[in-house]
Amino acid sequence: MALKQTIAIIGATESAGSSIAKTLSRINDRLLLMGKDEEALEALRSNLIGSGATAEIEVNSCAKEACWEADVIIIATSNELDREVIDRIKEVAVGKVVVSISSPATRTYKAYAGSSETSAAEELQKLLPYSKVVKTFNTVFARDFKTSSIVNDTGEIFIAGNNSDALQVVSKLILSAGFIPIIVGDLSVSRRLETLRLHG
Amino acid sequence: MAKNLMDRSNDMYERLHESIKAKVTLTPEEKETIKHYFIPKKLRKRQYLLNAGDVCQYLAFVEKGLLRLFSTDDKSHEHVIQFAMEGWWASDMSSFLSGDDAQYNIEALEDSELLLLTNTTLEELMEKVPRMERYFRLLMQNNIVALRRRVTSTQSDSAEEKYKKLMKAYPDLINRSPQHDLASYLGITPETLSRIRKQISTKK
Repeated sequence: MALKQTIAIIGATESAGSSIAKTLSRINDRLLLMGKDEEALEALRSNLIGSGATAEIEVNSCAKEACWEADVIIIATSNELDREVIDRIKEVAVGKVVVSISSPATRTYKAYAGSSETSAAEELQKLLPYSKVVKTFNTVFARDFKTSSIVNDTGEIFIAGNNSDALQVVSKLILSAGFIPIIVGDLSVSRRLETLRLHG
Repeated sequence: MAKNLMDRSNDMYERLHESIKAKVTLTPEEKETIKHYFIPKKLRKRQYLLNAGDVCQYLAFVEKGLLRLFSTDDKSHEHVIQFAMEGWWASDMSSFLSGDDAQYNIEALEDSELLLLTNTTLEELMEKVPRMERYFRLLMQNNIVALRRRVTSTQSDSAEEKYKKLMKAYPDLINRSPQHDLASYLGITPETLSRIRKQISTKK
């Protein structure tokens, strides 16, 4: 029996966060939903359980506590480079996989859109130098966070990152959620991934 | 309770630093540096750090809480091989070092705060802070001595002697561990343990 991983979703009640929570609720690990609005968190949890979640679903309104328990941290707040959040989780995120999802539909994206110099994911890695930042999920939800938790027709999800162990962890996660992980390169590829939009 | 844990969060490495200090002296810079190698991991009561059959990925230092290492036999009986409380290390060492499947499970008996090293970060840490290599060598030495004593005690001490030794060395452990786990650790039945405890308390 494989050990259950704890995956914390920071900003779980926001549009990107709840969409990712929905997608990952079909895995067999433990989802720790973190958001400031406790009512919205409870509502999300009931919703996921009601729609047949296989993952254990728990909620926590403290970002630091959630990240401390987590093996994988997904930052799904509208501004993933929010210093207040980063400072709070920095110490407990050491050595852990931190997933950056910013895309055309999140606010962070705008600051780095079209930059060939850097990307939100690379900036996040600078702010969390002892964590293993992985870029993924952004192209999945780019079109419309609200309606769907499903990818494009092929079910492929792109991943970029500098640490091979972290890439494996995220690949496994994506596979267990029923999608096909495609590792596209190191974190600098995020510059292109973050501006990538799906058609259709 | 969440608040209390947060209040002491500045001391996330307090026990670790104490444990290191007892063996080697680190500079203030080195004390800071080593923090970048440990994964802080909070485990709730009854959650597992390791399942037998998986490869043991971590060497775990207990900052807070209590763990038990145990194996399960064909008849689903559990055998507790080790406890680990504040300031102790826990791992399935042979699996951690060789990459073979683990024989033991590691479970939290209390809400616990751990600091984890992987094989890779352990090597990196010792390279970056060579004094840590001495720390780990002394740790392993002590571990061998303790293991020898435990084997000898298991073979030659009476149940009462075993219990008394444990009570003398780790009174806290006796109060915090479930009785059936203690009995399993001592290699006696829970009934025998209960009888010994009764005898000792009436002697007082």
